[in-house]
Amino acid sequence: MAVNGALAFDGVAFSYGNVAALRDVSFEVAAGERVALLGRNGAGKSSVVRLVTGVLHPDEGTVWVGDWDTAGRAPEELAWRVGSVFQHADQQLFARTLREDVSFGPRALGFPAPEVRRRTDEALDALDLHAHAAQHPYDLSPALRKLAALAGALALEPTVLVLDEPTAGLDRAGRGRVADAVREHADRGAALLVVTHDLAFAAETLQRGIVLDRGRLACDEPLDRLLTSAERLKPLGLVPPPVAALSVALDLPGRPVRERDAADTLARVAGGRSRS
Amino acid sequence: MRILALEEVTFWYPATATPALESVSLEVGSGEVVALVGRGGAGASTLLLIAAGLAPRVTGGRLAGSVTRGARAGIVLPTPWTQLSGMAFTVWDEVAFGPANLGWPEHEITRHVDRALERLEITPLASRDPVTLSGGELQRVIVAGILAMDPDLVLLDEPTAELDPEGARAVWRLVRSLAGEGKAVILATSDVDALPGVADRIIWLDQGSVRALGEPSLLAEDAMCEAGLGTTVAGLWRAAGLGAPYPLTVVDAAQRWR
Ligand SMILES: Nc1ncnc2c1ncn2[C@@H]1O[C@H](COP(=O)(O)OP(=O)(O)OP(=O)(O)O)[C@@H](O)[C@H]1O
Ligand SMILES: [Mg+2]
Repeated sequence: MAVNGALAFDGVAFSYGNVAALRDVSFEVAAGERVALLGRNGAGKSSVVRLVTGVLHPDEGTVWVGDWDTAGRAPEELAWRVGSVFQHADQQLFARTLREDVSFGPRALGFPAPEVRRRTDEALDALDLHAHAAQHPYDLSPALRKLAALAGALALEPTVLVLDEPTAGLDRAGRGRVADAVREHADRGAALLVVTHDLAFAAETLQRGIVLDRGRLACDEPLDRLLTSAERLKPLGLVPPPVAALSVALDLPGRPVRERDAADTLARVAGGRSRS
Repeated sequence: MRILALEEVTFWYPATATPALESVSLEVGSGEVVALVGRGGAGASTLLLIAAGLAPRVTGGRLAGSVTRGARAGIVLPTPWTQLSGMAFTVWDEVAFGPANLGWPEHEITRHVDRALERLEITPLASRDPVTLSGGELQRVIVAGILAMDPDLVLLDEPTAELDPEGARAVWRLVRSLAGEGKAVILATSDVDALPGVADRIIWLDQGSVRALGEPSLLAEDAMCEAGLGTTVAGLWRAAGLGAPYPLTVVDAAQRWR
C-alpha cells in the first residue's frame, strides 16, 4: 500500500487469545487531520491505540506510522513519532513530581537538557499545569492526572497523537483545555486520533468520525453529518450530542454541531423571525 | 425515611490548611436522587467519600460537624479500575466478592449477582477474567459489584465516564429505578445534560461550599450557565442572546421554538 497518511491501518486483524478484537480494519489519517474513533464498549478502540503505540502488533495486515511498518518495532522506538494517553492514564505516571513525569519522554529520547526543558515548559503551558508542576502525581485529582499524562504525550512533539478517552471525568473547563491543546498540536501538523465516548467534545474539536462495531469498521465520514443522524447512530450504540440534537429538533439551517455555530445560527434565525 | 444527614460538615485532607468541604449540611431520604455539580475540585468527590464513611477513616484528614448514616452505603469511585478486588478470576466472582463478604447465604448471593450482571448488560462477560476487560466493560463490572451488595445508599462518582452513550443512558435509567425501589442515590457527574431526567435535587458545590441547591431547573439559570455548569441547551440559548428563562433540554427548546 502507498503510504500517504501519517497513520494508516491496512487490513488489520487482532485477537487476544480467542477474543477477536479487530477484523479487517483499514483507514488513514493525514498530517494535521483530527479524527474521532468511536464505538460501543468493547468495540476495539483501545486495541487500535495499543497497535499504534506498538504495545501490540497485528495478527494480520499492517499498521503504518508514516513510512514505518510497526511490525518488529517496540514502543520505545515508536515514541519518536507517536505520543499517546492510555484510557487509565493514572497508570502512566510514576515520577515524583508532575514536571518530572512530563519531561520523562523527551529525556528518554535522549534530548539535551535545554531541549527537554523547553518541551516540558511548552507542554505544561498548553494544559495550564504550571501551578501543579511540583506536586506528586498521586496528590492530584484523577482529572489533573489525566491532563498530566496528556502533557507528557505533547512533550514528545509526536507526528501522531493517539488519545484514549482524554476527557473522561473532566469538567467543562478541563475539556476546553484539552480541546485547545490538541487542536493547536494538530495545527502544527500532527495527525490526531482520539478515542472518545464524549460526542460533544468530538463535535467541538474533531473533524472526521471512524466508528468500530464489534471490531469492524462500520463507518468513516465527516462528524457533523454523522452526529446529526440519529438513525445511523443508534445501531452503533451512539446518541446525538445535545447541540446536534437541538439542530435537528429546531431544524436549524446547516445543522450545526458546534456550540458557537449553533448559537450564531439560533440568533440569526430568531432575529429573522422577530422581524417578520 | 432519612438515610443520610450531614450537619455543618467541614473536612480537611491531611497536611492541608484549606478545607476541601466547608459547612455543608445535607439530608437525603429514601427514594431520592441528589446530584452534585461543580467544577473539578469543588468538593463533590470528597462529599461522596464522607457519605461512604471512607473520609476521614481511609483517606486520613480531619472532619468537623456530624455525619449520620442510617443505612449501608456502596460507592463507585471515579477510578473504578482501582476498585477491583484482585481476588477474583472471573467477572461473576468479582461481582460476588462484596455480597460474599456480607455473609449472605449462597442462593441470595447468586440472585443478587445475576440480577446485577443483567442490569449492567454484562451477563455474557460472566466467565471472563476481569483484568482483561475493556475500560467500559470494567466500569460496568464495578457498578454491578456495588449494586449486588444491595446498599440502601448508592454513591456514584462519574459512573458513566467510560460508558458508551447508550450504556450511559441505561445507567441513568437504572439510577431512576434504584430510587423507585426506595434507595437513596447521591451522584457526581460532569454530564449535566443527563441530569434533568435523573435528579430530584441539584446541589451546586463551589470551592467546598454549597453555592445553590434546588430542582434541576437550576441548571438553566444564568449563574450556573455563566459558571459553565448549566445544560448545553440553556448555555446555547444564552449565548445566542435569547432571553431568560432558558430552556433546560432539547425538548423544552423545541416546545418554545414552535
Ligand atoms: N487483554 C485482553 N484479553 C482478552 N480480551 C481482551 C483483552 N483486552 C481487551 N479484550 C477484549 O477485546 C475487545 C476490545 O477491547 P478494547 O479494549 O479494544 O475495547 P474498547 O472499544 O476500547 O472499549 P471501551 O469503550 O469499553 O474502552 C473487548 O471485547 C475486550 O473485552
Ligand atoms: Mg477502551
